[in-house]
This record gives sequence, structure tokens and C-alpha cells, in this order.
Amino acid sequence: MPIESSVLDIAGRVQRGEMSAAQATLEALGRIAALDGPIHGFLYVAGDRALADARAVDRRRARGEVLGALAGVPVAIKDAICTRGLPTTAGSKILAGYVPPYDATVVARLRRADAIVIGKTNMDEFAMGSSNENSAFGPAKNPWDLARAPGGSSGGSAAVVAARMAPCALGSDTGGSIRQPAAMTGTVGIKPTYGRVSRYGLIAFASSLDQIGPLSTDVRGAARVLGVVSGHDPCDSTSLDVPVGAFEAACDRSIRGLRIGVPKEYLAEGLDPEIKASVCSAIDDLQREGCVVKTVTLPHTQYAVGSYYVVATAEASSNLARFDGVRYGLRTSGDTRDLRAMYGATRDTGFGAEVKRRILLGTFVLSSGYYDAYYLKAQKVRTLIARDFADAFREVDVICSPTSPTAAFRLGEKVDDPLAMYLGDIFTLPASLAGLPAMSIPCAPTATGLPVGLQLVARALDEETMLAIAAAWESRSPARGMVPPQVAAQMAACSATRVPLDARSAPPVVPTDSNRPSRMS
Amino acid sequence: MPAAQIDRTLVLHVAKLASLSLVDSEVDRFAHELGRIVAYVEQLDALDTSDVPATAHVRLDRAPWRPDEARPGLTHEEALSQAPAVESEGFAVPLFVE
Repeated sequence: MPIESSVLDIAGRVQRGEMSAAQATLEALGRIAALDGPIHGFLYVAGDRALADARAVDRRRARGEVLGALAGVPVAIKDAICTRGLPTTAGSKILAGYVPPYDATVVARLRRADAIVIGKTNMDEFAMGSSNENSAFGPAKNPWDLARAPGGSSGGSAAVVAARMAPCALGSDTGGSIRQPAAMTGTVGIKPTYGRVSRYGLIAFASSLDQIGPLSTDVRGAARVLGVVSGHDPCDSTSLDVPVGAFEAACDRSIRGLRIGVPKEYLAEGLDPEIKASVCSAIDDLQREGCVVKTVTLPHTQYAVGSYYVVATAEASSNLARFDGVRYGLRTSGDTRDLRAMYGATRDTGFGAEVKRRILLGTFVLSSGYYDAYYLKAQKVRTLIARDFADAFREVDVICSPTSPTAAFRLGEKVDDPLAMYLGDIFTLPASLAGLPAMSIPCAPTATGLPVGLQLVARALDEETMLAIAAAWESRSPARGMVPPQVAAQMAACSATRVPLDARSAPPVVPTDSNRPSRMS
Repeated sequence: MPAAQIDRTLVLHVAKLASLSLVDSEVDRFAHELGRIVAYVEQLDALDTSDVPATAHVRLDRAPWRPDEARPGLTHEEALSQAPAVESEGFAVPLFVE
């Protein structure tokens, strides 16, 4: 497998029989063994199970069956998504050792498309965070600079894709948790329209905002994964009964005449000048390709952080009430004769500081005497933010902005200032509150070589227009084909010494680390 | 909007509602941090929202009901398999009724 093996490339070769699914899986496991030690993108590597799944796919091909759209493609799954028989912790001590008895709908759909679940990725605990530093098992690191955060909360998924340990991954996005890590690691990340992808089997953070989506090394790979996991699911009452879009075909559409809106509030003061220059240059380039660029206004942008952190924490405080030491996960007994004391001790031991902070904030804004002033108010402001987009989309087809106001920041830089961390989500939160599809694609790198993300937001259920522009930009982006230098060096060294792989050989040794949950296979 | 005073008493009250037994050092820390966050959130007060409806959910104006049909689910063993304590084929909990 060459250094750049995309989702489409691997699937095509496996479907045509030019490579076995087992080979693709062994390659991925080999890269994980070589690269993931310092990156810590995985909380669990599926090893033998992935290889057994791959061999089953190969046997089906040998019997003459037509393989699925993701034949033999290694996919890394964010650890908030349930995988039958594989540990699922949501990055929390309270779920250490939990092995779900069922697959999330998205995982079942990946398997039906002959994808190989290669492992579970690191994340901020219960998806609460923007840096991965809230993982109970230690943060993932950014492959572009191991002293920097890969973003969050899907930072492990983003790091794994950036380091080419898998060509694609699933993440979940509540307020930017797919897009922001994609931006910080130079990968493509899509948050679909709310309701496009089933949430069944996603460990809930904020149910009216959570959405699962793909991260990938390229736009077409993300489009294909999105196509596989999308579609109505009777197990999720918020799942929309609408046709799955022609996402991959949309990548080849002409973008001439499409109207791009640039929100003036997003390019205001506080934005890193290098990020601004990089994003403006991309927009100029799209204009030269025939897009019409207009300035739009989203006047309630400055209220998005306040609205989001009330709505999301309120929902989280309710969702996380289920972790009480009874049906699954940790139990801290203390006094075994007192049920309430058992609940309290279990939750105090099991949850990390950020999760407790958000549960407390969410409980406060829902509590008697404060509900109207905070929770209801935030929901009304949410309406205003959604109206901002509705107004803007009367004039334009896609809204284009930076994904994040800065490139990847240093680990530890913001960890002691929760409010500063929240303010970094300003560009991703509004589309989440409005339930709109949005994505991040690599823009031009900074002078020091760090990735910058370009965010596109589209009308509800119009992922296709967003993907058309993303693919057009990708083909001319200065970030095209950029791989973290250490990853490129490592892979060049591997290719130079590689012996031909035999799919029947023993699986490579996966890294072990006492800091991680126990591995099953 | 009433400017809420986030102090130790309020944090302990909310922690009780949330079933969190905080240790003492956490109480002061959360009072300080939540105070800053709530003060920030109070900027929403600058907006007149008296005529604005609340959005609880963006696309749920016509949430469908699915037919009430029995379908295969988890087995008894599967449902109990992840419990920290099991007794008499059920989830074991501390005594809560005398």
C-alpha cells in the first residue's frame, strides 16, 4: 500500500482482487504498531478481530460475491460509538472495561459495506472538550507536532487519519468535535445535517446536537463513508426519512455560479491573521474558479457560545444521569447500604473534572428558579442563530469561514481555563445549533507548517453542494497531499525495509501501554 | 435575568440534584469556574427574546411514530453482562427500602 492510500483506492483494489482485505488490515495494524505509541490515537486496537473480519471479506470475494463500497477499508471508530464485543469507554473511567452487547447502527452499516473496524479512538471524556486533554486515559497528540493538541473531542480519530494509520474514521460532532480536530490535523471532517445519520449506539452527550460523521484523508473518501452510514433508522426517532444523497457524484459537480457567503462576523478581530489570510486566499481562489462571493451577516454569532454551553450542558446533565453504577460501568460502593451514597460516590470517582463541571452547569440551568432565565433563554437565542442562517441562505449556497480561530494549540495551553477553551469553538457552534451540515477541509498551512481548516456550511440536507465546493477546493489546495513530516519519514523507512506481506502471517504486535484500557485480542 | 451568585451553597445544592458527591476542594473550584461561565452566559440577556419561540430540537416538527411491533432485543444474559453486580438474575443495588 503506497503512503497515500485513500478510501476509494483501497476499496477499489480489494473489490478488483488486486489486494486482499487481510493485506489492507495488516498494513494498517503495522502502521499503528509503528506510529501510535507517541500519538496515542487509539484506546483499543482490534488486532485479531479485525484480521478475522478481513479474512471473512476475502472469503466472500473468493466465493464470487460482489463486495461492498468499503471493501477491506480499515475504519477507526470514535470510542463514543458502541461496537459489539469491542470495549467502548467514551474516554471515561466510568465506562472502563465496558463491552457493548450491540453495534451502533453506523457500525453495522460499515460492516455491511465490508469495512474493517480496526480500533477505537481516543477522545475527550463523553466528547466534552476541544483538545483531547479530557480523556481519562491520557490525550492523543497531534501528529504534526506531538507537543500540540489534535483538537477535540474526536481528536483520536483525527490524529489516526492524519498519521495515515487508517484512511478514514468516524467521529461525533456536538459543537465542532469533528470539524475542529479535522482542521487541527489537516484532515477532512464532515458533520452531517442533524438527523442524516442515526445516533443509535452513540453514547449521548447532547441529543439535540449530536451527529456522527466521517473523517478522512480526502473529500471523496469522506463522501463515500458518509453515504454508507447515512439513511433512515427506526432505532433513532430523530433520524430523517430522506433519501441518501449522491455524495460522491457531487464531488465532480461544477462549482461555476455557486454563491459563497463569507460571514463578516467570522473574520473580525481576534482571528489569527495567518488563519484569516489562508482562508481569504482560498475564497479568492474559489472566486477565480467561477463562484460568486458575497459578504453575509450572521448577527447573533457572538451569542453562540453562551447559548450552546447552556443547551448542551442541560442535555448532558440529563443524558449522563444514566451512569449510576447499576447497569454498566464502574461502581464505587462506599456504604453498600445507601443507594444515593453509592450513586454519588460512583459518579464522583468515575467522572473527570470537565464532565462534572458540565453536569453541574447543566443541572443548574435546569433547576427551579433558573430554568427560564438560562435554559429557555438559550433555546430562544438558538432560534435567532438558526434564523441568521436561514436569512443568509436566501442569498448564498454555502457559507465559508475558518473552522477554528487558531491552528493547533499546545497541550496544557488552555487546560486550566475552561471558558477560554469554550470560546475557541465560536466558528463551529452556530451550525450545530442550527442543525446544518458543515465540514472542514485543509486550507493552506501556517508558516510553521501547521494545518489550517476551511469550514463550509450548507443548507439542511444539502451536503452535496458543500461537497462539490470541498472537492473543487481540494484539487487546488496548497495543503493537498500534505502528510505530517514524522509520519512521512516513518513510512518511507517502512517502505524501504518492507518484505512482501503474506496475509496468512501472524498479526503484528500492537503497542501496549499501561495507561490504556485492557485490550481484548 | 437574575444574576446568580454561584457560591459553595449553590454548588452543593446542584451537586446533590446531580447525584455527585464532590470532595471539598472540588466545591470551591467549581464555584469559581461556574461563576465565570455563568457570568459569561448572562450576556444573552442583552437580546430581547420576548417574541422569539424556543428551539428545543431543530428538525423534530413531525417526529414519526414507528409501529408498535415486537422485535428481537438483547437477551437477559446480554443485558446483565455489563452490570457491576448481579443477583437473582437482576441488577443488584444497595437496599433502598427498609
